[in-house]
Amino acid sequence: MRSKLAVIFVLAAVCLAASGTLFAHHGSGVSYDMTKMMTHEGVVTEFQWRNPHVYVLYDVKDDQGNVVNWGAETHAPVVCENQDNWSKDTLKPGDKITISVFPSKIGTPRGLLAKIVLNGKVIIDDTSRGRQPGQ
Amino acid sequence: MSSTILLALVVVFSGIASGQAAQEQGGGQGQRRGRAQTPSPTANLPFDAHDFNGVWIGRGPFNTLSDKPPAMTPWAQARYDAAKPGIGPRAQPLGNDPMMACDPIGYPRIAFYNAYPMEFVQTKDRLIQFFDFFYVHRTIWLDGRSLPADPEPTWYGYSVGHWDGNTLVVETTGFNDESWLDNDGHPHSDQMKLEERFTRTNHDTIEARMTLTDPKAYTAPWVSDVTTWRLTPKQAMREDLCAPSDEGKYKDEMREPAASKK
Amino acid sequence: MRKCLLRSIALLTGALVVSTLGYAQTYEGPGGQTRDRRGLPTAASPTANLPFDPHDLSGVWMGLQNRNTLSRTPPPMTPWAQARYNAAKPGIGPRAQPLGNDPIMTCDPIGYPRLAFYNDYPMEMVATKDRLIEFFDFFYVHRTIWMDGRELPKDPEPTWYGYSVGHWDGNTLVVNVTGFNDQSWLDNDGHPHSDQMKLEERFTRVDHDTMQSKMTLTDPAAYTTPWVSDIEVWKLSPKQTMREDLCAPSDEAKYKDEVRDPAAAKK
Repeated sequence: MRSKLAVIFVLAAVCLAASGTLFAHHGSGVSYDMTKMMTHEGVVTEFQWRNPHVYVLYDVKDDQGNVVNWGAETHAPVVCENQDNWSKDTLKPGDKITISVFPSKIGTPRGLLAKIVLNGKVIIDDTSRGRQPGQ
Repeated sequence: MSSTILLALVVVFSGIASGQAAQEQGGGQGQRRGRAQTPSPTANLPFDAHDFNGVWIGRGPFNTLSDKPPAMTPWAQARYDAAKPGIGPRAQPLGNDPMMACDPIGYPRIAFYNAYPMEFVQTKDRLIQFFDFFYVHRTIWLDGRSLPADPEPTWYGYSVGHWDGNTLVVETTGFNDESWLDNDGHPHSDQMKLEERFTRTNHDTIEARMTLTDPKAYTAPWVSDVTTWRLTPKQAMREDLCAPSDEGKYKDEMREPAASKK
Repeated sequence: MRKCLLRSIALLTGALVVSTLGYAQTYEGPGGQTRDRRGLPTAASPTANLPFDPHDLSGVWMGLQNRNTLSRTPPPMTPWAQARYNAAKPGIGPRAQPLGNDPIMTCDPIGYPRLAFYNDYPMEMVATKDRLIEFFDFFYVHRTIWMDGRELPKDPEPTWYGYSVGHWDGNTLVVNVTGFNDQSWLDNDGHPHSDQMKLEERFTRVDHDTMQSKMTLTDPAAYTTPWVSDIEVWKLSPKQTMREDLCAPSDEAKYKDEVRDPAAAKK
């Protein structure tokens, strides 16, 4: 229990600085509409477990049956490790996921990762990063 | 989107996390608000104030030294105006932050990434400070040598340290002027000198503060806020190198498609 | 006629002797001793025979000469490796070309073991209770050799410089390395390595001033047999300081625009 407290302190510290500001040093943060959320069923085509930010590319079938390759980014590997217990093996090409993102403001198939469900299990949930319109 | 609002949300989020932690423990702690410091079970163990060995994670200024920068010289103002950060109050979608191309992030800017682990390794003649972020190190010489009179300009400076009681006083000179001073895009010149004071206040905690003097850029010395480093022995250092090919891949596949239509 | 021939031979010989003398001029090499052009010491080092602790590798070391790769006889490559090798365009060595695509030219991490071949740049070993840290002036990076008895990780994170553990075998430090990514070139010739690569290195301090090292590379995804390196000789160089020789993309780009590209190609 005590070590859990220490871990949570560490997570809080990492989360505080990392999730809001560290990812955004590339200017990506300003590209996403944090008041919207889009959810897709996707098939992973690529899982980039690398700096500067972990990201996943995935195929989504649109209403016409066309396949669009989407991309969703999240934190640096160190944060995903500490906050979500992720590793280089968390996702791989072929994995079927239910994935929610804060989409790109200009309507391109890119987003900031909000949530992934893999095999019925939530493996990341950053939906709290979103905000209400007008906030 | 305002990064400040996002940051505030994250503050609240982590405050809730801390609060939950306190609640889970039950008993003595009670509910805490905001950016609570959960008490550490090892904080009151005996410790050697002159021993900094270990892996530490910090809380402290991130964007810059403090929210009261001194007035800039015209040289510095021009540099500041030309800098386009990706975060902070002047954030823009793409920007020209040199660290996005993997230029060395430099000192003291690396010290503001204090949520990434930092390791002190101390030997007889030196204190080596390793940073997980960018996977770099700087050497603080403890062998009594003086600062070089005419140093080679470097990204991370030349540092010497001496003990003033239980405070390690670190003086650094020998900077080039190529890196940004901070995440806001403030500049520094090659005249910059730093004085940092590190004090281990209990088994788990080092407090650090720096004073920057750079007459070519700032009309007065700039004293930073305090960074509090917390000992985190279970934390391993990762090799978080910046690789241009990885940055390029991220830029081509995520950052630019998110920001602009081709 | 014969006199003329003899005189010519004498002249030629004289010329040869003179030019050899020119080649044999000395310089101060690592360890402070004088060396000839080939890097070999011309006189015994004054400190070579001082007492030393073979289990103490700390200090600043310099290698006798740069190398391009482990040895002149690479093992046969797998098809995967051959394709990578063919695609690599080095800037130096037997396959050098004016511009090339060597990733270190844009400051990608040079990786290990390639960094170890740049041994005319200083290298510093710093020992603590639980580790030996090897600092490299070139690219200003370090790797940690864990000496606390831990095992190699079973499923390591892929990294540029690997995960190293060391143990003593008599007076030889044996270092085992795993956990590589496959992004860096193996060497300056553009040979590849995969993320299956494992290294075993052996470091032996043979006198006060001298350390020898050798590595064996095993990478079945790239090479059909292990690859044993030549022996490298390191000399203790206490007068040598470590410089911050970081690779900065903006400096590299400036160099490329102002020197390298104009030298190689007209716009």
